[in-house]
Amino acid sequence: MVWRAIVRSSVGTSHKKRQMPCQDYGQYIIATDDIIVGAVADGAGSAKYSDIGAELAVKTCLLNLGEWLESQKHLSPLSEQQAATVFAWTLETVVTALKQQAANSGYPLNELACTLIVFIAAPDWVAAMQVGDGFLVAGSQIHEYQLLFQPTKGEFINETTFVTAPSALEEMQVCVRPGHQAFICASTDGLERVAIRMDDWLPFARFFQPLQDYMWTTSSPEQEDEYIRNFLDSERLNARTDDDKTILLCVYGQ
Amino acid sequence: MGVGLPEFVENPENRCPVVLLLDTSGSMAGEPIKALNQGLTVFQSAVREDEQASLRVEVAIVAFGPVRLVQDFVTIDEFVPPQLDASGLTPMGEAINYALDLLESRKETYRVSGIQYYRPWIFLITDGAPNLNSPWQQAAQRVKDSESNRKLSFFAVGVQGADLETLRQITPLERPPMMLHGLDFKSMFVWLSDSMRRVSSSTVGGEMVALPPVGWGQITT
Repeated sequence: MVWRAIVRSSVGTSHKKRQMPCQDYGQYIIATDDIIVGAVADGAGSAKYSDIGAELAVKTCLLNLGEWLESQKHLSPLSEQQAATVFAWTLETVVTALKQQAANSGYPLNELACTLIVFIAAPDWVAAMQVGDGFLVAGSQIHEYQLLFQPTKGEFINETTFVTAPSALEEMQVCVRPGHQAFICASTDGLERVAIRMDDWLPFARFFQPLQDYMWTTSSPEQEDEYIRNFLDSERLNARTDDDKTILLCVYGQ
Repeated sequence: MGVGLPEFVENPENRCPVVLLLDTSGSMAGEPIKALNQGLTVFQSAVREDEQASLRVEVAIVAFGPVRLVQDFVTIDEFVPPQLDASGLTPMGEAINYALDLLESRKETYRVSGIQYYRPWIFLITDGAPNLNSPWQQAAQRVKDSESNRKLSFFAVGVQGADLETLRQITPLERPPMMLHGLDFKSMFVWLSDSMRRVSSSTVGGEMVALPPVGWGQITT
């Protein structure tokens, strides 16, 4: 049994129009003991270098969590409290890296503002954190999906919390789910409105099922990425969202 | 491969509410009210040029002299501009209170229905001063509290004859009242529609929506 995963981002039509870069970033690593660590970040539209911020946030998480996992001989399922400690430390390393980047380049930290979702998944448990919006959905059984966090939004749709905010640590959500996770999907808020029903925050199964089926039937998704790329760039999707979109999918199986 | 495509959930459109708080007291009779009515039509057609905005921008119209709800919240695609008449006094404080309450109840409806929304605007247009017995100071305090809690954005526009000193005490410091050039409601409503289009298409992190330059009036000090 192995983890198979793919991550792809696509620039939003509104960003294209204004010749803005894709401000989303996502990446994952597969560590020892069948553990996968994934992260997605969405750079703030108002921040000048948030594309750099999002990429640096994700890379910093993966680097540090990867090293930490290596230092653990055998990782038993994290308790909520351990997860909170690990992710608080992760967030701290991210903010330190962003501060360093801002100082070196001579701009304010806020210009790197981004949201962040990180998960550590073993075959029989998943631990995760979220600052800001976007979503993380996990399925413990076939075609059954759970939203791990409600996105942190302000009262208004165009407001959220970024990792660069003084309240980021306080507003960081953390959870641990025991049990086998057949499917994990992390995404930025560009896909939120098409994938999550907003009045009760339930994942829309018919959005996730085909993605899960694709992952099950594809032996090396990173090489066979046409399905995901076509989906992210489809007119059908762009008619519904003009924002950047990132999707990180993983399944654990044969 | 035989894998289908992800289907999309139908979520209600995000809403961008604006309350037009319009002075229709006797002094607005004649040319001013005529120009204001034309301005409302300009507003409707300018927002409609943008399909997404016409589904997101919701307008309510509260007229005062006396206070009445001329138009409850409606998205611009369904908005039919009213023909306002001018008569009566200027119960400005009562009207502001009414608009604040109207917004609160609208927000409640959004919340219950799972509708996400942008920061609401209240846009006050007046050519006069509040009635002597009008609780405008209490209303002004509510506006200031709402502004400092970032619950809404309050704009005031004075038309010739307006008591700008009073308006200055109602508006937040960072957004002083504007004096309309003559009766150029048309340019003002084009600006408002452009602003609403920008706000209603803004995404997360675009908290500071840059508003278009104001060519229809001036800040008075």
